[in-house]
Amino acid sequence: MKKNSTAQPVLAMLLGAIILQLIPVSGEWLAWKPNFLLLVMIAWVLYFPDRYGIEFSVVVGICADLLFSSTLGYHVLIFTICGLIVIFFHRVIAYLHMGHRVVLVFLLVIVVELLKAMMNSLGDIPVFLKHIPYLAVISSLFWVPLDKVVNRFYLRHK
Amino acid sequence: MVRKAFFAVLLATLLITLDIYTPWFESFRGHLSKVTVPLQLISNFPNRIGAWVDLNTTSRTMLEQKNASLENERLILLGKLQRKAELAAENLRLRQLLNASELLMDSVLVTEVIGISPNPLNHRVTIDRGADDAVYVGQPVLDAEGLMGQITHVYKNYSQVLLITDLNHALPVQVLRNGLRSIVEGTSDYHEMRLRFVSPTVDIAEGDQLVSSGLGGRFPVGYPVGTVAEISQRPGEKFMDIKVIPLAKLDRSKHLLLVFRLQDGDQSRGGK
Repeated sequence: MKKNSTAQPVLAMLLGAIILQLIPVSGEWLAWKPNFLLLVMIAWVLYFPDRYGIEFSVVVGICADLLFSSTLGYHVLIFTICGLIVIFFHRVIAYLHMGHRVVLVFLLVIVVELLKAMMNSLGDIPVFLKHIPYLAVISSLFWVPLDKVVNRFYLRHK
Repeated sequence: MVRKAFFAVLLATLLITLDIYTPWFESFRGHLSKVTVPLQLISNFPNRIGAWVDLNTTSRTMLEQKNASLENERLILLGKLQRKAELAAENLRLRQLLNASELLMDSVLVTEVIGISPNPLNHRVTIDRGADDAVYVGQPVLDAEGLMGQITHVYKNYSQVLLITDLNHALPVQVLRNGLRSIVEGTSDYHEMRLRFVSPTVDIAEGDQLVSSGLGGRFPVGYPVGTVAEISQRPGEKFMDIKVIPLAKLDRSKHLLLVFRLQDGDQSRGGK
């Protein structure tokens, strides 16, 4: 019973992320909109790597592919790599200060966007790099409340 | 953990290959949009609440001023329309004298954007008209300024529109000044398109207006598409690199027009 006690908040957060992702934003602002699904995935993998590991990254990646109408597998690949990085460093990250975790998310978003750009260039899709630093900053700002919420669940289930 | 990640990467690669080279996931994506549209409607709430607050906090004086300005604008447009009606009649008479076929007349249906694709590279919007309003796949969509795109998927009460700036969109156009035909393609940038395969010897200049040529039978003839913004040629390239700025406000228009094509005289859909 205890093992599934985080399932509901995870589902609620994923649904919230999907709704936030779908909020219509016009033109260039769209490029600055954070990938909320990615942030939710990072948060849960970071705090609960045993429950929400690579399989969780794959599932959220499929959701992202369907939501963004991208090639199926595109986000799965990116989210898997990102999830693996988070799992690899989670023991260190858990002891970090909030400010450090914000910097980590900033760097992770940059890595993810560079991976996307690399995959897009392989598929002859135009690559826009100018927006990446802004996107990383905005994503880091959204990370703060998300981290606090997931951290509360972590402390409760520790 | 690394083994799991390896299998996940393998799965992702397999999915990418299957999605690119087979149409297996197409119908699944179609069914999935039935789930995403209600979510898009929920996501639209902040905008709707904003519009409602805006409407309810606007003072009576401001509304009266806006109404007066709209009334003036309407009078000016009616005056222009009278002149256009005269020109259309003259055009029809000339075409009859030349034994040319009559041009088709179009009627329009107003629709509203209810969702925008969250992927910045994917220029698609969802509108609130569907099969119930006789919307069909391939139907042209306009805004007040110019051609916006075409319908790609139709559901009962809503449809998806592929915008002309999407990377997968190509549109036959002609230069208004001299009738030069070409194809304009999307670049995934709301403010830029490219004119393809234009030889350096042809007569095209910056500022030229492009309109739909009607070739291919999908878009009606003569709707404004864009303006030639920049012409350049790289050394060794056979064709010119021509940038076009779309006229339609692709990233801002909320109310769009669906074009229904009618034979001259058939006005059953007119005024909808």
